[in-house]
Amino acid sequence: MRAWHYTPAADFGLAPGERVKCVRREAGLVASLLLRLFWALVRLYLRVWHRIRVQGLENLPRETPFVLVANHTSHLDALVLGAFLPSRLRDRVYPISAGDTFFAKRSVGWFAALCLNALPLWRRKTCARALSELRERLAGGRCGYILFPEGTRARDGELAGFKPGLGMLVAGTATPVIPCHIEGAFAAWPPGKRLPRPRRLTLRVGKAVAFGDVKDERTGWEAVALAVRLQVQELAAT
Amino acid sequence: MNTMERLFGWRHAFDHPVSLGITVCVGALLLLAPLLIALVNRLARPEPRLRRELWQRYTSWLVIAPAVMLPILAGAAWTILAVTALSLACYAEYARATGLFREKLLSALVVGGILALNFAALDHWYALFAALVPLWAGLLVVAGILGDRPQGYIQWVALALLGFMLFGAALAHLSLFANDANYRPMLLMLLLCVQLNDVFAFCVGKTLGRRKLAPNTSPGKTLEGSLGALLLTTLLAVALGRLVFAGTALESWPLLVLMGAMISVLGQLGDLTLSSIKRDLGIKDMGALLPGHGGVLDRFNSVLLAAPALFHLAHYLLPAVGHGQAARIITGG
Repeated sequence: MRAWHYTPAADFGLAPGERVKCVRREAGLVASLLLRLFWALVRLYLRVWHRIRVQGLENLPRETPFVLVANHTSHLDALVLGAFLPSRLRDRVYPISAGDTFFAKRSVGWFAALCLNALPLWRRKTCARALSELRERLAGGRCGYILFPEGTRARDGELAGFKPGLGMLVAGTATPVIPCHIEGAFAAWPPGKRLPRPRRLTLRVGKAVAFGDVKDERTGWEAVALAVRLQVQELAAT
Repeated sequence: MNTMERLFGWRHAFDHPVSLGITVCVGALLLLAPLLIALVNRLARPEPRLRRELWQRYTSWLVIAPAVMLPILAGAAWTILAVTALSLACYAEYARATGLFREKLLSALVVGGILALNFAALDHWYALFAALVPLWAGLLVVAGILGDRPQGYIQWVALALLGFMLFGAALAHLSLFANDANYRPMLLMLLLCVQLNDVFAFCVGKTLGRRKLAPNTSPGKTLEGSLGALLLTTLLAVALGRLVFAGTALESWPLLVLMGAMISVLGQLGDLTLSSIKRDLGIKDMGALLPGHGGVLDRFNSVLLAAPALFHLAHYLLPAVGHGQAARIITGG
């Protein structure tokens, strides 16, 4: 007879405050409900306020694991990338966000964790270790990430260089990376502005690429970053 | 007593001398505990780890004791609300520990079952409560089929059923007690006996313990501690029960001894049940909500089996728990 197999929550045994900041966090029933509700509101907001257009909707992933990647000019970007994913994946999609922006204050951290399902990546401290933990989790297959490889919002709206961290997540694995391009977010809500203006947004979703034959080391990571950046640029030109 | 007074009548909090006595004793104990801890530290000089744990446990008790006692004293509605919150907290810890929380439909249904049972208790509709247990179990069995993923069916459904029975059906008996006009002393007596039962077992075990009770399940427990707790808890329960059940069939000595022994044995078995679950999962505590204790379940495991047993003993021997109180106060009929 096959032995029963239990897998406790990956963030099991942590106090609530620690759970919020843990990169292995898994949503429970309450968080799942909140996420579905919040993202339904996000979709509505994007359609009404920004009259969003989506090209290549069929390229969005139907199953985990995956990494959604795009240019980054605005806080709207993570919402745009996440909004059109199938709702049954909702509690397994994690925007990777800057720890120092979203998890430094407790109230913002709770919001980011419960409503966005965001995971923190601390830009200055222990980034490499956190990335390897994120890679391990991605390899487990039960999650997808939303990631902005530029590392921060471009203050001029132009596409900056991609950091190799993206490569550290996927090099040598079959995990598909889906390049996307978001147009109009900089005009709608650039860094430094308090509130978003009602400008039209366009999301272009590209074809998935995997980097199974790329070596999991610095040269490989940089190759991944370059290749994906090229794809995002191509999408921008269409 | 009319229904609104039973539900919200905090003025009746100390109608029964046992309610007052237990509240005063627990309050005094919480006030004196720092002195006792200081005394232990001075005389026995425990190692720093134990010293810190003692202190953590005490500060947790400062939260747990009012969180348990205030709703009971305040009224039946608050009691049922608190029991519901306790059930949900226990189930959440269990679901995350076993991985059952990933089966969203089953998990949502267990939560729904807990809410339904406590609604039936609040409504004082015992027939609905009794019907809900087997019917909701059937619902869980059926819900497991719906995903058309038979791999792991038995495991998920069995986990859901165990969770529903222990943290739903069993704990909701605490809510059923609240339908009785005299529920405060009964609940306070049960909870005090069950919690002190753990303390007795710990203390007797530490001083006299030699033979291990169940080394594979819970290596810290000893046969001597268990028997000591059985003796002391029974004495306490008999003394309190004599006052709580004065003028009823449960007043007789042999029945009171039976009741006390039952509370002690089932309290310890509830503890061992959770120990078995934790051993099987390979974890030490069910959570980290209560510093020094672990999770909510680590503190309330010993009520799980004792609550339904005491309820049915009382329900059988008294005129009935909730006798003379209006039934179906929400649904009518």
